[in-house]
Amino acid sequence: MLLKVENLTKRFGGLVAVSDVSFAVSKGEIIGIFGPNGSGKTTLLNLLAGLLPPSGGRVLWKGEDIAGARPNIIASAGVIKTFQNPQLFSELTVFEHVMIASFLAFTRMKDHSRWRSFLWPGRTESILRERAERALALCRLQDASLKRAAELSYGEEKMLGVAMAMMCEPEILLLDEPASGLGNDEIHNLESVLRDLRAHGTTLCIIDHKVAFLAKFADQAIALQQGCKIAEGRPYDVLADPAVVKAYLGRSHA
Amino acid sequence: MKSLLLLLIPLYVLPLVVHSDVVLTILIFTFLLGILAVGFNIVFGGAGQLTMFHAAAFGIGSYVTFLSMLRFGIPFWLGYCVAVVIVVLVSIVIGWICFKFRLKEFYFAVVTLAFAELCRLVALNWTSVTNGTLGMLVLEKPTIWLPGSGIVRIEQTTSWYFLSLVALSAILVFSVLLMRSWIGRNFSAIRLNEDLAQTLGIDTFRYKLLAFTISNVIASFAGALYGFYTGYIEPAYLAVTQSLDAIAMVLLGGVSTIMGPVVGALVLTSLPHLIELPAEMRVAVYGMILILVILLMPRGVVGLFRRPRHAA
Repeated sequence: MLLKVENLTKRFGGLVAVSDVSFAVSKGEIIGIFGPNGSGKTTLLNLLAGLLPPSGGRVLWKGEDIAGARPNIIASAGVIKTFQNPQLFSELTVFEHVMIASFLAFTRMKDHSRWRSFLWPGRTESILRERAERALALCRLQDASLKRAAELSYGEEKMLGVAMAMMCEPEILLLDEPASGLGNDEIHNLESVLRDLRAHGTTLCIIDHKVAFLAKFADQAIALQQGCKIAEGRPYDVLADPAVVKAYLGRSHA
Repeated sequence: MKSLLLLLIPLYVLPLVVHSDVVLTILIFTFLLGILAVGFNIVFGGAGQLTMFHAAAFGIGSYVTFLSMLRFGIPFWLGYCVAVVIVVLVSIVIGWICFKFRLKEFYFAVVTLAFAELCRLVALNWTSVTNGTLGMLVLEKPTIWLPGSGIVRIEQTTSWYFLSLVALSAILVFSVLLMRSWIGRNFSAIRLNEDLAQTLGIDTFRYKLLAFTISNVIASFAGALYGFYTGYIEPAYLAVTQSLDAIAMVLLGGVSTIMGPVVGALVLTSLPHLIELPAEMRVAVYGMILILVILLMPRGVVGLFRRPRHAA
């Protein structure tokens, strides 16, 4: 089991944003987490990525508890998160973004002495550049690589977030509403990128409130409502679950 | 890197053409204060941390180098090594406190300023060691080994010119190497979006501490040379005005550019000599020029010609 979440809980004062959520993800799997706005999806992802400290519960990554660890420690362990509202270095170009994101890949290059690459960066740099180009191509951004982040469309910004995450060589990629705010063409584009990632063998954890979008990809789905897990299983079974129908439509169809 | 070396070559041949002591002296001050400004630009223009501690590091550099030469009878460069050890320790302690408490921007500036004042007060009041307000006369000179002529004392203006130019060149080459390496890229990431930097696996605490320490060590180098060049060390070296001067140089020349701090240092050290007015008027005119330039050229003199240098 790659990632195992046990009784994860987050309280903000009196509000319980995530309540006693448990699930598990195995390698190569795509897990979809959905729920209406305010159901605690983003909080859950932030807990996994270390952006928020949990109030209780455990997050086991390859058997080791990473709950409450600092985000950079979690990232270097292979858990990478993208943001719902793209977080960028606005004055840099797309290519520079991906090069900054190459840091983890760089630290993992065993045959490259850090001090040699400080004085003669050429060889290391060309390897990282090649990888950066591949990550951009994967996210269909190769033509935008010299654009500044401030000139990108919203859809391109989101894809740049994915490209940076891919550059970190994630073992599991946590995608926070990748489809929100995208036009139809861009969603189409995103779907093909996600298909590529799946073919790549990357484990994905996607949260979204667009149920139909998730159901197409996920091997396993979890439905959240008010911070609680209300259903779990294969996507279409979860969608048909009376509790889920009730949460989404406000009444029971049963 | 190539353009940097091309810019520096004319400075190496200048003393062959120009024999004026005034011009060379202004350039020596430019180079020494330029080193301080380049150091500040690494932590501010690089990692985006507005430190006010660099004047203290500058002062510690000159005091500790000189005092350890007096106490232990060691040469200048060994004395400077003692200063480096102390500056590194001080930087780690202060940086650790500031960055653990996640102090940013003005909060960071105020706390580092408080630590700098603390250091200045020590220099001012520990009279038995530092001679207090009176400061100390430095009669010793740095020595260097030159092939052919053995150990040489740095005394004449031209020797100081070359020593400070070589020191500045070395610091500039180091800062180019640093800023284009993974370290410089991580600094840029921290300056532009610290939260994002962390989720990309960058240990922002460690890299901020590194930037702070490197810049203080460079500032202490400038201070050590400065004290021995002027032959006088006083608590004013650690004063806030000294920090502000370096900040003005960086803003004037261009933040996050390699040559910007040096251009700023040149303008600020030569300007007072170029304005031929009574002393009081001169300061006012000087201040006004500074304000106008910063308002009209938000990216500094070098910024007029190129966009800020980032991780490329």
